[in-house]
Amino acid sequence: MDNQYTIQTQNLSKSYKGVEVLNIEELNIPKGQSFGLVGNNGAGKTTYFSLLLDLIQPTTGQIINNDIVVSESEDWKPFTSAFIDESFLIGYLTAEEYFYFIADLRKVTKTEVDELLATFEDFFHDEILNKKKYLRDLSKGNQKKVGIVASFIGNPEVIILDEPFANLDPTTQIRLKKIIKELASAKHTTVLISSHDLLHVTDVCERIVVLDKGVIVKDTLTNETTLKELEAYFGREDEENIELPAKDHSEESAQ
Amino acid sequence: MKLSKFSSFEWKKFSRSSYFEKGVVVKILLILGALYFIGLAAFLGFAIIFGLEKAIPDQDPFVTLNNFLIYYVLADLGFRYFLQQLPVMNIKPFMIIPVKRSKVINYLLLKTSLSFFNILPILFFLPVTGVLIYKSYDVLGSIIWFISFLSISFCINYANFLINKTQVFFYAIISVLAVLVGLEYFSVYPVSDLFGDLFYGFYTDKYWAIIPIGLVYVLFKANYNYILKHFYLDGAIVEKKESVKQYDLSFLNRFGKLSTFLKNDVRMILRNARPKQVVMMSFLFLFYGLFFYTQDIYQDMPAFLAFASMFITGGFLISFGQLVPSWDSEYYKLMMSQNISYRQYLESKWLLMVVACVISFILSTPYIYFGWKIYLMIAAGASFNIGLNSFITLYGGALNRVPIELNQKAKAFSNTNGFNPTQLLISLPKILGPMIIFYIPYKLLNFNAGLIALAASGVLGLIFKQKFLSIVENVYQKGKYKTLAAFNEKQ
Repeated sequence: MDNQYTIQTQNLSKSYKGVEVLNIEELNIPKGQSFGLVGNNGAGKTTYFSLLLDLIQPTTGQIINNDIVVSESEDWKPFTSAFIDESFLIGYLTAEEYFYFIADLRKVTKTEVDELLATFEDFFHDEILNKKKYLRDLSKGNQKKVGIVASFIGNPEVIILDEPFANLDPTTQIRLKKIIKELASAKHTTVLISSHDLLHVTDVCERIVVLDKGVIVKDTLTNETTLKELEAYFGREDEENIELPAKDHSEESAQ
Repeated sequence: MKLSKFSSFEWKKFSRSSYFEKGVVVKILLILGALYFIGLAAFLGFAIIFGLEKAIPDQDPFVTLNNFLIYYVLADLGFRYFLQQLPVMNIKPFMIIPVKRSKVINYLLLKTSLSFFNILPILFFLPVTGVLIYKSYDVLGSIIWFISFLSISFCINYANFLINKTQVFFYAIISVLAVLVGLEYFSVYPVSDLFGDLFYGFYTDKYWAIIPIGLVYVLFKANYNYILKHFYLDGAIVEKKESVKQYDLSFLNRFGKLSTFLKNDVRMILRNARPKQVVMMSFLFLFYGLFFYTQDIYQDMPAFLAFASMFITGGFLISFGQLVPSWDSEYYKLMMSQNISYRQYLESKWLLMVVACVISFILSTPYIYFGWKIYLMIAAGASFNIGLNSFITLYGGALNRVPIELNQKAKAFSNTNGFNPTQLLISLPKILGPMIIFYIPYKLLNFNAGLIALAASGVLGLIFKQKFLSIVENVYQKGKYKTLAAFNEKQ
């Protein structure tokens, strides 16, 4: 059981002033899986990722990252990396300085970083490196590119990306999908992403979990019908509202 | 859109901030402090006329009071400059909805009337006026005198914002003050008498009151125009292009593991408006000694000299250190999810503070002019700063969870003097520390013993450096979630 799962979630809940925003009894993610978290605003996706990174304190329960309880020890940090939002960037650095800073923290040499960056030339689309611009002056999309690539530095075993597709142009979205697929196929890295884009997330993730109001309502391995199922699930309320002829809901509500 | 609507927004902003919810103890202390000052002001107001009558019996106590009031005006100006919060308001939402700009600005400026600093003078001058009338001074004259001083108080209120926001006004005021002090000090012209006559004139020749009342209007308008001109978000209208400043920081590599953080900190200071301001300010601290060493009264109060000596070398150390880790608030989540050691992070900041202290000490060499005694005192103060003050300041900073917008300079709508009660409490040991460490051996033995004690306290701090760093590190670890939550809250 120990090495079967990279991430184990046990009786995890988070409340703010008595209001529960997340309650996950059990969620185990095997090593090497590309895992997608889907849900409407306020479903608890970012809360879950923040708990995973020990940025907020769980009300009950715990998350175990490679046998380490994240809220009790910091030993998960060397093999875990994340890009959640712009607060993971240092605005007054240039892209290169930022990459080297992260590399220093993760004990990666400059040459290794340069090699890694070379493989992302396409992804950067000549808008990031050697631009003599501070990160704070880059567009939101380009900032995101920097943050995502920085999270790949140092061969982390667990990569957490919150809404990686948002703000990216279509070309970059397609390139990012390719990159994530490659990472996942290597079976060394566990990738966790959250997204509002059902198409992208079903495309890159082997498994998809749907959160609604902090509770897991769907947990499925991706196949050809997953996208349809998800669209049906998220569209169900609209259909109810426009009062279509009575319809059998049992299929959608089955978890 | 009514003014009351603005007020309700402001109240919500105040009562719903996380700071308000957390700092209960600090709040109680603050309220107690305010009550103390209110009581003191009112008591002084009642007692001062009688007191002056006793002290200088052969002069009209009211004339004596007026002669001293210029010092009150100067002190008020000084206090407000360092302590009074500037009007802060989030203007972005109001920019595109149909509210007249004039309304927003007027509200902003009028809001400041309710400041503690404006209420205090009322509490002082009201009883004074009461006593004057009781002692059968001219009723109308006394009331006009009261109104004049109220106006002066408001003048200072509005002048303070201009001083804070515009460099030109700041230097203008400083120059005028310097000239006046110079005239008085070198006995060229008795400036304080002139002001004494003017203040007394409010009472005798009532129309003189037009001066302060008119000045309030002028300063209000000046503020109004200034804010109107700056009623834009920086960068939203005019996109600023910033060229990257590259520095060769490889010389920092000699610090080994620390160099990662050191390089980052140096870049942070050089590339952001707010830390640059701090560096400028700390340069001004170097001149602090000129106030103390030139005054004869302080020569017999070496404890105050010890305090001044600490400030000369401690400018950067205090103003930078009290905002560690706030300097990294913009990307604190990154720091907390990376594999960083708090120890190295802190040590890097500590080293910067120490280096700044040493540089300040070297720059303070001209103080030898005031004698070796003074210079040795500055040296002892520097030792205290490096060895003890640095850790006290870092400890205070860890408790002081105020998010900083690094690249926001003092703008019309930002709060430049991020002053809060936690900072005040934690600054007590910084201020009293060197005075006590110096004073006790000085009183028991002699001057040199005081010097040695102050210098030794710093050395002692250095010896226990690891221990002190561990204590601060502990605060970081314990407060991690609190700090993250506080920094997450946008101002």
